[in-house]
Formats: sequence, structure tokens, C-alpha cells
Amino acid sequence: MNQLLRRLEPLGWNVLPPVVGVAMTAMIVGALAAAPREIIEGEVQRLMYLHVPSAVIMYGAFGFTAFASVMLLWKRDMRWDAAARSAALVGVFLCSMVLLSGAIWGKPIWGVYWTWDARLTTTLILLLIYVAYLLARSVAGPLDEQAARYAAIFAIIGVVDIPIIQMSVRWWRTLHPQPIIFRPNPALPDEMLLVLLIGFIAVASLATWLIFLQWNTERAAQRVSALRAEVDHREMA
Amino acid sequence: MDHIEYLFAGFAVFWGGLFIYLLLLQMRIRALSQEIGRLEERLAEAEAPPAARTVTPPAPPGTGGRGGRDAPEQASEVAAQDA
Amino acid sequence: MSPFLAVVEKDLRLAWRNRSGWASAAAFATIAVLTYSFAFDLATGDVRPLLPGVLWTTFLFAGVFAAGQSFQDEVEDGTFEAMRLAPIPATAIFAGKLTANLIALLIIEFAQLLLATILFDAGLFTPALLGIVLIGTIGYVSLTTLLSTMGGHVRGRSVLLPVLVLPLLVPLLIGAVRGTGAALGLEAGTAPWIVLLGVFTLWSTLGAFLLFPVAVER
Repeated sequence: MNQLLRRLEPLGWNVLPPVVGVAMTAMIVGALAAAPREIIEGEVQRLMYLHVPSAVIMYGAFGFTAFASVMLLWKRDMRWDAAARSAALVGVFLCSMVLLSGAIWGKPIWGVYWTWDARLTTTLILLLIYVAYLLARSVAGPLDEQAARYAAIFAIIGVVDIPIIQMSVRWWRTLHPQPIIFRPNPALPDEMLLVLLIGFIAVASLATWLIFLQWNTERAAQRVSALRAEVDHREMA
Repeated sequence: MDHIEYLFAGFAVFWGGLFIYLLLLQMRIRALSQEIGRLEERLAEAEAPPAARTVTPPAPPGTGGRGGRDAPEQASEVAAQDA
Repeated sequence: MSPFLAVVEKDLRLAWRNRSGWASAAAFATIAVLTYSFAFDLATGDVRPLLPGVLWTTFLFAGVFAAGQSFQDEVEDGTFEAMRLAPIPATAIFAGKLTANLIALLIIEFAQLLLATILFDAGLFTPALLGIVLIGTIGYVSLTTLLSTMGGHVRGRSVLLPVLVLPLLVPLLIGAVRGTGAALGLEAGTAPWIVLLGVFTLWSTLGAFLLFPVAVER
């Protein structure tokens, strides 16, 4: 892990920010100007270019939290705890954005901000699970290994629970637009698909950059804890 | 049927949220790096040559007292941001 | 005597010694059923369709409450540390704790079913409904036991427990409430909900058994 980190860390500082900037600008231009106006839903449909990529990348962030949690339990390296926590935080941010932009889209199209539709319910439960994860982790200090392991176990249970939640909730009748992108023959026009692809790249790079920044912050917090313990130890002696 | 105000609101919420997130992150990074600097200073003081320490037994009175008063405040600050 | 039975016996004895904690869980459940039936009776004339929801929210809250309580007792008595140092497999410790919690909660739930039979005038003691209650209780007790037993020194854990457990239990709540409704004849067709409940219970029990040794290892 050390070698890989040494090679990747400069990329995080030097390469990621410009990539994020360019991709986000391209996404805004594409979504607001280049993409054709949707005939039935009108201009508000342009929210999709932000909403759908955020939803997919959110699952990626939560998946990474679970992966880092497994690695923490296995390797007992607290850097994995910082990674899991950062990914969960960014995932919670994306999840809130997905719920909010979805509600704002829902008002003109469905006539309501919120409904207990299958996908909406699942996403809300997902948000609650990862907020709970962050709470469970934040009751103890950054270097508290017991709390880190506790949160890691919870993250693993949470990620395995997601498909069961989806299955159980889907047994209600669903209002949410059915996926039309992940099919052999996507039903979306080419221009829209291209803008959506740019949206995926933009949100993915944004999420990677945020996780990287957050990870550095969590590492700094761990260092503060370690230093504080050491100062106490020295001044006692 | 265009609801352009909803489109505007949706994008505004995303960018506003991102801005607030980055602002909070920046504030936390600054607090943490200041804390690291301060703690490293205190560590260096604690490691001062033993001769200096025998003259003023526990720690230099001025710095030690101030450090002792500052520390709990910073700790609570960091804890508040953690939560 | 096998280690499993020894742990069950020890936990039941501990539960009996700290019966005030379990009594308050039972009292909480009773108050909840009474308050629900009173409040819903004010709002709607017919409270019977609400019965499955009333029963299961009460069971879940009582279960979470009791799990936090039971582990608190154990930490105070120091028995958990002693058990971890003893040469007992972690799986046996977990199975013992799970069984003891299950027995205590089933007793509380039995009392609530009796109370609800009187208040809601419903025939609750049918084999189908008792089966749903048993499967559902195993499902949630395994998760609450796992999450309450881990990290005993994590401060504020008992307050956090419902926040952690309840979102995970959504599939169980859906399956159990719908299944109970079907068993009471409030809606047609029980099969898929019982399958969902069974899948969840199987998953949560297996997951808890696999993760418990990881959770308590030093």
C-alpha cells in the first residue's frame, strides 16, 4: 500500500483538480446548452445529467466504504479506516444531492416532491444507514481502533443489506422512471447519451477528488490524535 | 411546461451543497494543520535538553501554562467538527 | 455441559439477576401497545388494520432497548471480559447470548400478544402468526445482539443502537408487517412475505455468526 500511495498521491494534488474542473465545466455546458430539449418533460429534464451519475457514483462510494472496511479488519491499518470514513462521507453528500435534485425534478413532473416509491425509499434508507455509520464512527477519536472496527462491521452488514432492502421495497408498485440507459439498445438519443457520459466522468472525478481531500483530512486528524497522546506522554514523564 | 425555475433550483442546490462541503472541509483542514504545528512545537519543547528542565522542573512556566489552557478548547473544537 | 449451554445458562441467570432492566423493556412494550391502541382509536374508528404495524414497531423498539440493556449489565458485571478470556469459542458465546436474549424477548412478546388480543379483539394465537413472530424475532435479535455486544467501551452506544439497527431492519419490518396482516386475514396471500422474512432472518443470523468472532477478536 505504501508504494502505491507514494505514486498516487502527487496525482491527487496535481492531476485531479484540473480534470475535475474541465469535466464539470463540460458537464454544465453539455447539460444546459448542448443537449437537446426533452419533448415531454421540458427543460427540467436536464437535471438528469447530474442526478443519474450522482446516484451511480454514490453506490460506488458506498461500495468503496465496504471494501476499505474489509481491508481495515484484515490489515488493521488505520489508514483504511480514514479511507472508509472519507468514502462514506462523500457518499452521504452525493446521496443527499440525489434525493434533493430528485425531489426538485419530481415536483413539476410527478406533482409531488416525495412519494414512497421503491427507489426513493431505498435511497433514503441508504442515506440513513451511512449517516448512522458516520455517527457510530465519530463517537470515538480518530485513532480508536475498537470504534473503527465496530463501524467497519456495521458498514459490511449495511452493504450486504442493500440488495435485500431493494428486493423488499421493490415489491411495492413503483413510480420511478425505469432504467433506459443500461440496456443493449439504449432508448436515449445519441446527443443525450454523450452528455450523460460526460456527466458520469465529471461526477466520478469530483467524487474521487473529494474522497482524496477528505482522506487527507482524516489522516491529519489521526496525526493530531497521535501527537496529542505523545505530548501528554512526554510532559507526564 | 418547461419549469425552468426547477432546473435552476436543482443545479443551485448541487453547487450550493458542494460549496458548503468544500468550505467546511477547508475550515477543518486549517484547524487541523494549526493544531499539528502547535503540538509539534510543544513536543520539541518537551524534548528540550535535560539541563534546561532541571532548572524549571515541570516545563517552562509561561508556555506550559498557556498550552495547558489552550489544549481543551482546541480539543472540543475538533470534536465538534468531528460530529 | 457444552460451552453453548453454559453461556445460555449464565446469560439467563444474569438476565434474572438484572430483571429490572428486562422488566422495563416489558413495561415499555406494554405502554407502547396501550398508547398506540388509544391514540389510533381516537383517530380512526377501526384500529384492526393497524394492528400488524403496532405489534412490530413495539417488538423492534423493545428488542433494541432490551439488547442495549442486557449488554450494559454484562459490562458492569465484567462477565463479558471474563468470558472472552476463557477458552470458549466465540461462536458459542454468541449462540448463547442470542438464545438467552431470544428467550427473554419471546416472553415479552407473548405478553404483548395477549394484551393485543384483548385490546384489539383479534385471534392472535394462530400457528401462522406465532411462526412469523418467531422467525422475525430471531432475525432482529441476531442483529441487535451483534451490534450491542461489540465495542462495549464505545461511549454513547446505547443511544446509537436504534439509529444503527432500525434502517437495517426495514426488510424485516416490511415482511413481518405484511405477513402478520395476511395471517390475520387483512390481505390475501402470505407466501412471498414469509419468504422475504425467512431470507432476511437467514441472512442476518448467518452474517452475525460470521462477523461476531471478527468483532470481538483483539
